[in-house]
Amino acid sequence: MEYNGGAVVAMVGKNCVAIACDKRLGVQAMTISTEFKKTFQVTPKTYIGLPGLATDVQTLAEKFRFKVNMYKLKEEREIEPRTLAHLVSSTLYERRWGPWFVEPVVAGLDKENRPFICSTDLIGCINFAKDFVVSGTTSNQLYGMCESLWEPDLEPEDLFETISQALMNAVDRDCLSGWGAEVTIITPDKIITRTLKSRQD
Amino acid sequence: MTSRLPRTKGGFNFDNHVRNTMMEGKGLCLPKATKTGTTIVGLIYKDGLVLGADTRATAGPIVADKNCEKIHYLAPNMYCCGAGTAADTEMTTALISSQLELHRLSTGRQARVVTAMTLLKQMLFKYQGHIGAALILGGVDLNGPHLYTIYPHGSTDKLPYVTMGSGSLAAMSVFESRFKADMEREEAITLVKDAIEAGIFNDLGSGSNVDVVVISKDNVEVLRNYAKPNERGIKEASYKYPRGATQVLKTSIRDLVDIKETVQATTTEAMDIS
Amino acid sequence: MAGLKAGEVNLGTSIMAVQFDGGVIIGADSRTTTGSYIANRVTDKLTEVHDTIYCCRSGSAADTQAVADIVHYYLQMYTVQNGKPTVPLAASLFQEMCYQNKDNLMAGIIVAGWDKDNGGSVWNIPLGGSLHRQPFAIGGSGSTYIYGYCDANYKDGMNQEQCIEFVKNSLALAMDRDGSSGGVIRLAVITEKGVQRLFIPGDKLPVHWQG
Repeated sequence: MEYNGGAVVAMVGKNCVAIACDKRLGVQAMTISTEFKKTFQVTPKTYIGLPGLATDVQTLAEKFRFKVNMYKLKEEREIEPRTLAHLVSSTLYERRWGPWFVEPVVAGLDKENRPFICSTDLIGCINFAKDFVVSGTTSNQLYGMCESLWEPDLEPEDLFETISQALMNAVDRDCLSGWGAEVTIITPDKIITRTLKSRQD
Repeated sequence: MTSRLPRTKGGFNFDNHVRNTMMEGKGLCLPKATKTGTTIVGLIYKDGLVLGADTRATAGPIVADKNCEKIHYLAPNMYCCGAGTAADTEMTTALISSQLELHRLSTGRQARVVTAMTLLKQMLFKYQGHIGAALILGGVDLNGPHLYTIYPHGSTDKLPYVTMGSGSLAAMSVFESRFKADMEREEAITLVKDAIEAGIFNDLGSGSNVDVVVISKDNVEVLRNYAKPNERGIKEASYKYPRGATQVLKTSIRDLVDIKETVQATTTEAMDIS
Repeated sequence: MAGLKAGEVNLGTSIMAVQFDGGVIIGADSRTTTGSYIANRVTDKLTEVHDTIYCCRSGSAADTQAVADIVHYYLQMYTVQNGKPTVPLAASLFQEMCYQNKDNLMAGIIVAGWDKDNGGSVWNIPLGGSLHRQPFAIGGSGSTYIYGYCDANYKDGMNQEQCIEFVKNSLALAMDRDGSSGGVIRLAVITEKGVQRLFIPGDKLPVHWQG
C-alpha cells in the first residue's frame, strides 16, 4: 500500500453515488506519474476503485474487466454492483495466502437505481456501508473527513462538493497521495466525471 | 476444444506468495486484513438457544465497519457467530453453509448441528490454524438445541453457555454470575444483550450495536441491531460546502439512455395445421 | 515433535487410567486453557472410541480431538466388517496415527478399556508415539507432580473401589499443584457390563495438605 500510494473514497447520495480517487503514482517518496487514475468503469452505472500496489491495480483491473465481460456473455445482462462485490471478494480470497495488495471499492446504482457502495480488505472481506467507504494510504484521514462532512440525502451536486473536499483535504495530510484528483458522480441518467484542481505537492 | 481461458480449478492460489515475502523482506509492510475484535456469545435456554454479537470490525486500531454482521446464516435451523479474521469467518461459514444445503438436498433431511460442527472443525484442522476463524455454532435439530465453540485450530467444546473473541472475558463474567439453566426467552435474550454490552463497553475491539438470533424448535428470529447503545447524536450544524466551492479543471458528462426492448408477436393468423 | 502453536487450545491436563481385575478406571481433570484463560472448566477429556474402549486426551485439544475422531471412525468401520475390536487394536491405531504424524501433533493419549480377550487393559502413548502397556498410566502436565505418589500407593490386585480412590486422590493432588489442571474430576468405570460415569464436583474433591 505504502509503496505506490493512493486514495479512493465512495459516498452515497440521494439516488446517486460518487467515487473519487487521487491521481498520484509514486515509488515510495518519488512521484512517477500524476495521471494514474485508480477508478475504473465496469458497467454503465458501476465503478470500481483499486488503490494499492500499482502492478496489482493494473492486473486486477484487467482481471475484473475480463470476468465482468464473461459474466455479461454468459448471463446476457450487466453485472449488478452487489454481484460485482462478491466477484471481487472471491477473487481476492482465492489468494488468501499470497494476496493482491489492493483494497477495492465498488460504487454503483443497481437495476432499480438504488445506490450501492462497499469496500473490501485485501483478502476480500466485504464492508457494506450505507454512508461512505474509504481506502488506500489516506484512509485514516478520509475516515475523519467523511465522518464530519457526510450527511444523508445529498443531491448529486452537493455530493460532488462533499466528496471532493473530503478527498482533497485528506490527501493534504498524506505525502503518498494527491497530485490531482478525479471524481465521478453516478446518477440514474448521467455519469459526471470531473478532474479537480488541487495542490501539486 | 482446448479453452484458452484461464480455468478456475477452485481452491487457494499461492502464486503471489513468493513475491509478497520478497517485498516484505525489503521492508514493505502489507496492508492489514480486517479483523473482528469482537464479542460473540451464545446460551441455551428453556426452548432453544440465543446467539449474540457486537457489530464492530477493525483494521488495526481503526474501526473499519461500525455495523457489520457477525452472526452468519448456516442453515434454516443453524446460525454461526464469527470472530477473528473477518474474511475467514465470512468465507468459512459461506462454504459450510453451501455444503450443508447440498447435504440437505441429497439426504432429504434437515442437517444436524453436529454435522455442521464436524464439517467446520475438519476444515479448520486441515488448515492448522492458518484460517483465523473462531466460531460459536448454534442450532436446533431433532436432538434438541446444541451450542458449540470452534477454535481456529479445529478444537470444539460443547457447553450450555459460551463466549468468544477479545470481549469474551467481559461477556463470560456476566454469564458466570447470572446464567441459570432453563431460563425463559425474555430473560435469556436480556442476559445475552448484557453480556454483549459488557464486551462493547469494556473491550476496545468490540463496539456499536447488539445483534441477536433466537433459535427454538420451529422458530428462528433474527433480531438485527436488537440494542443500539451507541446511537450517534444528531449534528447541530451542517458542514455542507456551498456548490462551486471545489475548483474543477475538466468536466465530462455522459448521458445514459435507457434502451427498452419490447418483443411483439407478429403472426396474427392462425397457423395452418391441416 | 510439534510444539503448541500460538493461540492454540491446550489441554493442560491431568489424566490417569488404572487396570483392575475385571476392567479399568479412567479419570481426568476438566480444565482447558488458552494461555492463562480457562476456555472450558467442565471439559470431558474421556472420549469414547468404542462401546468399552475410551481414551484420555492430553496436549493440543484440536490434535487429540482429530485423532480420536479418526480412530472412532476406524473402529466403527472395523466393527461392521469384523465385529468387536480389542483394546490393543484401538491402542495400536492411536499409536500409528501419533507416530506417523509426530512432527505435526501434540498429543499424549492413554487408551484404556475392556475386551473379551484381555479383560481390562491400559495403554500409554506419550508424545513421541511409542506404545506401552502398563498396569496404570498417568499423563498430561499435572502428572509430573504425582509420579512419586502413584508409585508409592499403587498396589497390584486392588479392587474397583480401591482403584477409584487411588485415581481420585492422585488427580486431586495433581490438580492442586498444576496450574493448568483443575475444575472437577471426571471418572469412568469400564467393565464387561459397560461404562459407568462418575463426577466429583470441585467442592467435593479429596482434600490434602493445603498449607
